[in-house]
Amino acid sequence: MTLDDFAATRDVPSDDWYEAASELKGSGHDFFDWLSAYDDSDAGVAVVARIWSVRDRHGAMLRTRVAREGGLLPTLTTLWEGAAWHERETAEMFGIGFTGHPDPRPLLLPDGFDGHPLRKEFVLASRVAKEWPGAKEPGESVAGRKRPPGVPPAGTWGS
Amino acid sequence: MTALPDRSRGVIALREESCTSCMVCARECPDWCIYIDSHKETEPATGEGARPKTRHVLDRFAIDYALCMYCGICIEVCPWDALFWSPEYDHAAGDVLGLTHERETLVTWMRSVPSVD
Amino acid sequence: MAADVTIEWGHIFRLRVLDVGLACCAVEFAAAAARGDDMAAVGARPFAPEPREANVMVISGTVTDKLAPQVKRLYDEMPPDSYVMSFGSCANCGGPYWDSYSVTKGVDQMIPIDVYVPGCPPRPEALLDGLAQLNERIGR
Repeated sequence: MTLDDFAATRDVPSDDWYEAASELKGSGHDFFDWLSAYDDSDAGVAVVARIWSVRDRHGAMLRTRVAREGGLLPTLTTLWEGAAWHERETAEMFGIGFTGHPDPRPLLLPDGFDGHPLRKEFVLASRVAKEWPGAKEPGESVAGRKRPPGVPPAGTWGS
Repeated sequence: MTALPDRSRGVIALREESCTSCMVCARECPDWCIYIDSHKETEPATGEGARPKTRHVLDRFAIDYALCMYCGICIEVCPWDALFWSPEYDHAAGDVLGLTHERETLVTWMRSVPSVD
Repeated sequence: MAADVTIEWGHIFRLRVLDVGLACCAVEFAAAAARGDDMAAVGARPFAPEPREANVMVISGTVTDKLAPQVKRLYDEMPPDSYVMSFGSCANCGGPYWDSYSVTKGVDQMIPIDVYVPGCPPRPEALLDGLAQLNERIGR
């Protein structure tokens, strides 16, 4: 395999998402590898999909960005049925929607789960609640104010 | 039953005389499962021209083995080589609090730490 | 250690073990179960086909909030006077995933545990030792 097999990520506007994927399918990219997303802070939620051509042994990565609130993309399940679970997981983890999805239920999260865990603002509650043992300085028995990076101080987050 | 290799990663032992309460292991532990308390003591100056010395005295050193994921980061990162792997594994407990090993227990695991050679 | 346990012939195979194999610890359980002689030495017979036929349930692995009701159901289906072993850090208290949004921080939040075996994952020998300790507790 060469580096060409791992194609560079192609950025498309969210309005062209379905067409770009459709073109890929038309040009022999028949294997839907995965679809996921990442939180790109102010730029929105970036949705990435990788599609592979079994015949040509060549892959393509598509990326687009949607709004953090109410972001929507057309579903790719009409092109590859296997996209269904990937889109369900991405929807519940990032709080975006896939219009036309045949079964838009949450996939992994339990019923009644509040929030979208893979967003950057979703805080790990346990790390806020538990006192960091490393907060003490050498020679202290009572914690000073040190907190490990990324953990907000108690009282500034949560209800 | 077959004997375990001496350097198996069973449990973490503390060499108390080497620990300076520097807190590096507690800070680096990804699971936040090392609990250290210490205090400062000042020794008066001895002899002419000497200054009073401050040293840290370890009060509490505990590892919560219910949380511990046995990654060994604490052992690798300790600047004073106060922590070691011991191959002992048979310390199941009837209560989850019994899995928090205090300093006295951690020191006893030194008995099975293999020597460097 | 398990090798020090005297086999009480009247109680051999009195632990019928149901393995709730959820994650990596299940592999260590399987490794321990493959050692038939050692299992016999602690009076355990692994892989009960269903909870009704078991008297020991070993939670081997991470319990997620979504799966937790099913683990509870398995516990409820076991006969009364059954025992539960929490095997590994995840079952003890959430383990390395103690900060996760989806993990139950210790299976003892739902069901009472008789023996906690530490480790991530615990060695197969540690499972045998945990079963031996359970034996002693039952014997009392």
